[in-house]
Amino acid sequence: MKDQLSALIDGEFDIESSEHLITSVKSGGELKGCWTHYHLIGDTLRGDIGRGGVQMSHDFSQRVMSALESEPALLALNGQNQTLISNKQSYNTPRVWSVAASVAAVMFVGVMVLQQQLNQPEALAPVEIAQSVPTEYLQAHQAAAPSNAAYYIQTANYTEPRQ
Amino acid sequence: MLRTIFVAVLALVSINSYAVDDAWFVLQKSAYASRELNYQGVFVYQNGKQTRSVQITHMNNAGQELTRNVVLDNSITSGQANQPREVYSQGKDIVIFRPQNQKMVIEKRRGQNLFPAMLPTDLVAIKTSYTARLGALEYVAGREAQIVELVPNDAFRYSYKIWADTEYGLLLKMTLIDSKNQTLEQIEFNQLSMLNSHDENWFKPRIDVEKSYVMQDATAVNQITNDWVVTDLPVGYAKVEHRALVVSGKTAPVDQIIFSDGIASVSLFIEPLTKGKHPKMGHMQIGSTNICANVINGYQLTVVGEVPAATVMQIAKAVSFKKQTAFNKK
Repeated sequence: MKDQLSALIDGEFDIESSEHLITSVKSGGELKGCWTHYHLIGDTLRGDIGRGGVQMSHDFSQRVMSALESEPALLALNGQNQTLISNKQSYNTPRVWSVAASVAAVMFVGVMVLQQQLNQPEALAPVEIAQSVPTEYLQAHQAAAPSNAAYYIQTANYTEPRQ
Repeated sequence: MLRTIFVAVLALVSINSYAVDDAWFVLQKSAYASRELNYQGVFVYQNGKQTRSVQITHMNNAGQELTRNVVLDNSITSGQANQPREVYSQGKDIVIFRPQNQKMVIEKRRGQNLFPAMLPTDLVAIKTSYTARLGALEYVAGREAQIVELVPNDAFRYSYKIWADTEYGLLLKMTLIDSKNQTLEQIEFNQLSMLNSHDENWFKPRIDVEKSYVMQDATAVNQITNDWVVTDLPVGYAKVEHRALVVSGKTAPVDQIIFSDGIASVSLFIEPLTKGKHPKMGHMQIGSTNICANVINGYQLTVVGEVPAATVMQIAKAVSFKKQTAFNKK
């Protein structure tokens, strides 16, 4: 529900189906606190604070810190989360920081790592060609070479059964 | 005295030039004989530790070449002998029937020089990179043969030794020899007879009704990219073909460029590096084939050929990319 609320504030949640969220916020309790927090964080990121906008209360940082502590730890990302992040990243241009992502700073670091992997495949250590013989290329070469006799032995020698 | 020496030198020169021409003449005759004569026989092909016996029937009926090759040695899997692999060619079209598990795969190829027609009829390209020398006479498969050595003019190709039938010119034996004089590949007739009939009944595959026959996936040729250029090819090699290769498990087709010096050939494969896959580097040799892998500008390059290591290594470094890298493009 917190995720949905965050998405609603970011304009990424269908307003038609958000009635239950509005009702929960109106009824007060935890979700109302979140509503206030998320808006405050959003305002801070957009630089609205202090320029005639909302004034920060003194215990602001304390409240954020305690909220962070009570959030579930997101250190171990499961597969589903990873796809979610990478999708979001690719669709959100220009890159507006999602409130949820900025609260969960750990997730943000995760995105950075993921992006580095996507952009720099050379970073993976090269392996020796001898470690994995490119059988498909041997076959393709023998199939196309103008003069070649090697195809007589090819299947028995090189080819692993390809289903 | 001077005049005698001059005459002697002149005679020597003319004998030498005659001998060289004669070597090329033997090769030329051999190239035609393999395509024009009607013959049947068994030849043995050796590459590294692998050996195969192949039965060949070749006929030329009024300019139309028909060939059938049946591989006689076959592996036995789960107690059952595999259907032999058969290669049929008609003119430039080649169809291969090869067993694969419970299926027979039908593969189509074009324009290859199959044994014994390993030499192209046009020897111009070969003449620029090799020197032909007449050798001794020897018997192969009961036939008298003239040996011709094709010695490379540089270190970018191997030597070839060719035994040509002295009467008919047919290529009876051929070996591939490296710079240390080791034989890497050998192909030779064990038995051979000339055919007098024009009967074409043999030209049809043996169908195994228990097996399903499937066509091998065709290769798409309309997506060839040209973002790269090969700047520093080893001398004597020229591009003979460029095709897009569809490799199972790869999203984009791989570029395959084939270079030849008239007899030796090398394939260069170009593909963008894939996310999460380790790039391949280095060099290896399998039988007579040298393989070299390299990475340039985010592209994986793989070079494969029956040529010395120096040749595949130079080609693997000779590619440069015109515009962006593979990853900027996406």
